[in-house]
Amino acid sequence: MNSHSLMRVLFFAQLKDVTGCEAVEIFSSSPLDRDGLWAALLEKFPGLAAHRPAVRLARNCEYAAPDALFAHGDEVALLPPVSGG
Amino acid sequence: MKIEVQLTGSPLAESYSPLSTVGAHGAFVEFRGIIRGEERGQPVAALEYETYAEMALREIRRLLESIAERHPCLGVRVVHRTGAVPVGEAAVYIGVVSLHRAEAIALLGEFLDRLKQSVPIWKRRMVPVAGTVPSKTAISAPKPRAGACSLDGALAEIRSRCQPLPAVPAPLAEAFGRVLRETVCAPEDMPPFDRSARDGYAILSTDAAGHFQVVDTLDAADWRPRSLQPGQAVRVATGSALPCGGLRVVMQEHVEREGSRIRVLEHEHASNIRLRGEDMQAGQPLVQAGARLNAGALALLGAAGCVQPLVSPRPRVAHFTTGDELVSPQQTPKPGQIRDSNSTLIRGLLQNVPCDLEQNHLTEDFETAWRQLDPKRLAKVDLLLVSGGASVGAKDFSRPLLERLGFEIIFSQVNVRPGKPLIFGINGRRVAFGLPGNPLAHFVCFHFAVALALARLAGESGPVFLRAPLAAKLEDEPCPRETLWPAHLEWNSGAPRLHPMVWASSGDLSCLPAANTLIRVPANQAILEAGTEVDFLPAAGMVCP
Repeated sequence: MNSHSLMRVLFFAQLKDVTGCEAVEIFSSSPLDRDGLWAALLEKFPGLAAHRPAVRLARNCEYAAPDALFAHGDEVALLPPVSGG
Repeated sequence: MKIEVQLTGSPLAESYSPLSTVGAHGAFVEFRGIIRGEERGQPVAALEYETYAEMALREIRRLLESIAERHPCLGVRVVHRTGAVPVGEAAVYIGVVSLHRAEAIALLGEFLDRLKQSVPIWKRRMVPVAGTVPSKTAISAPKPRAGACSLDGALAEIRSRCQPLPAVPAPLAEAFGRVLRETVCAPEDMPPFDRSARDGYAILSTDAAGHFQVVDTLDAADWRPRSLQPGQAVRVATGSALPCGGLRVVMQEHVEREGSRIRVLEHEHASNIRLRGEDMQAGQPLVQAGARLNAGALALLGAAGCVQPLVSPRPRVAHFTTGDELVSPQQTPKPGQIRDSNSTLIRGLLQNVPCDLEQNHLTEDFETAWRQLDPKRLAKVDLLLVSGGASVGAKDFSRPLLERLGFEIIFSQVNVRPGKPLIFGINGRRVAFGLPGNPLAHFVCFHFAVALALARLAGESGPVFLRAPLAAKLEDEPCPRETLWPAHLEWNSGAPRLHPMVWASSGDLSCLPAANTLIRVPANQAILEAGTEVDFLPAAGMVCP
C-alpha cells in the first residue's frame, strides 16, 4: 500500500477564478489537519489567503469538523459562502 | 418522510405531483423561487447556478430530515436549477405534503433559510448585453463541458441531467421490477377484524371457569357477531373473525370436548388473538414511493387492493452496433473479422432492467448509416446506445451521429479506465451514450453510466459504491486515471471479499463471466494489498445484503 497520502481538492465559484482550475491533487506523507491542508494549498495558490476566513471545508461531501484529518483518498472541497435558492 | 431531491439543468416542470397518495395528506404547500430582473438596483438577465452536486444532494436531504424531526411531514420534493436561469423562470421548487398545513409551512420556511446557509450552491449574476432588453435570447448560456471529465463529474452530470420518466399506472402482473412512484397506504386495518390465531374456543378474557357451553361454531370465512356470557364459548378455527371484543382463545389441545360442552384443562396467559390493525393500520404507508417492486411488495399491494400502482414506465431503449469488421455470432468470421459480442452483452445486461430493447447494426459509412435510421422512430426512444466498432473510433462516428439527432454532448471522455471514450448526450428528456467498442469497456461503462441513467429514468437515485476488503493483492502499473477493475465478490468465508480479475486490455472478454463487481482503484495507485478496504460498484444481477 502506498504510504503517501493523495487527496483531491475541489474549488467552487470565485475560488475557481483564483486558482484557475476546478481541482488539484495534493500529495502528503501523512494525513493533514486543517492548518496543514491550508499550508499546502496556500503554497500553490497564495491568492486563496484572502478567502480563507470565509471558506468552509468539506471532506467527502460533508462539512468537515474543526479537528478533521484529511487523508488518503479523501475528496476535499473549498466552499465559499453559499447562495442557493 | 419521503424525500426527492433533484438538481437539473432544464426548466422546472409546469407542475409536480405531491409526494404522497390521495387521501393520505391534508396539506400540499408549494414554493417556486423566480429570478427577478433586478438585484440591488442592478439589471439582471439571468442567474447562473453552480453546485457541488453530490454534496448538495446530501446536504439538502440532511437538512430536511433534521427539520422534519420538529415539523414531521409526509413528503418533500426539492428541485433546484443548475446553469443559467433566465429572468422569469423558477430556480427552485419545493413541494411539501403533510397531515396539516402548519408543519408543512414551518418546514418550508425553515428549509429555505437553511438552504441559503449551508447547501453548496452558488449563484452569479449575468448582466444583459448593453442596449438589449433582458430576454431569454440575450443570454449566452455557459458552454457545455464537452471535454474529459472525472468519474465523479460524469456521475454527477448523469445524475442531474437524466430526469425520471412520467409515471404510468400498471397492472400488478406487469409491475415487477419497476419503481413505485407513489407511496401506497393501507386502505383499511390489517387484519380488518380480530382473528383467532389458533384452532380452539373463544371465551370472555376474564372467564376462568372450568366448564363452558359451546354456543356457536365459526369457520375461517364466517362472520357472525354476537356477545358472549360468562360460561359460554364459541368454537373457532385459525383465522376466524371473533364474534365480539374482550375475548381470548383457549387452544383445542387444552380442552376436552363433551358433546356441546367443553372442559378447560389449562388456562394460558396468551390471548391467541391477532388483533385488528396488528399487522398494519389504515393510512399507514405500505410501500414507499421509490421502492423497486419485488414479489413481496407486489403481494402487499395486492392484499391492499392496489391493483394499478403508479410506476415508472418501461423505457424504450435502442442499441446500435457499428463496425464493418463485425459479423453476427452465427457466422464464421473471415480473416480480419470478429464476431459481435456487444449486442449479446447489452441484451444480457438489460435483462435485469424492465425495458423494451430494439437492436440494429449500422454500417460504418456515416451517410449510409444515417439513411438506415428512422428519426421518427428514434424520437420515441428514451435511451439510445451506440456501440463503437473497434476499428471505428467511437468519437468519429457516435458523436456526429448523436449531434445530428439533436443531442447536446455533455461529455465525450471520462478519466476512467477502461472506458475513457464514453460520450454522454441529452436531448430534452432523451438520453444517449456512445459506448467505446471494446467489450470490457462496454461492461464498465454500462455499470457506472448506463445503469445510473436507467435508474434515474425510473426515478431512483442510482447505484452507489459499497466497501469490502480485497481477497488478494491488486497489482498494476500506476495509471493517471481512476480504474474500475472487474472483480468477483464472494461470500464463501462468511463475509464479502473481492477477488480482482486478471485483464490485460479493454478488449478482454474472458474475465466477464465471473465479474460481478467493479473495484474503484484510485488514480496513480499501483498496488493495493490483500485486506485493503476498497470501494466497489455491484454489477447487474448481483444481490447485495
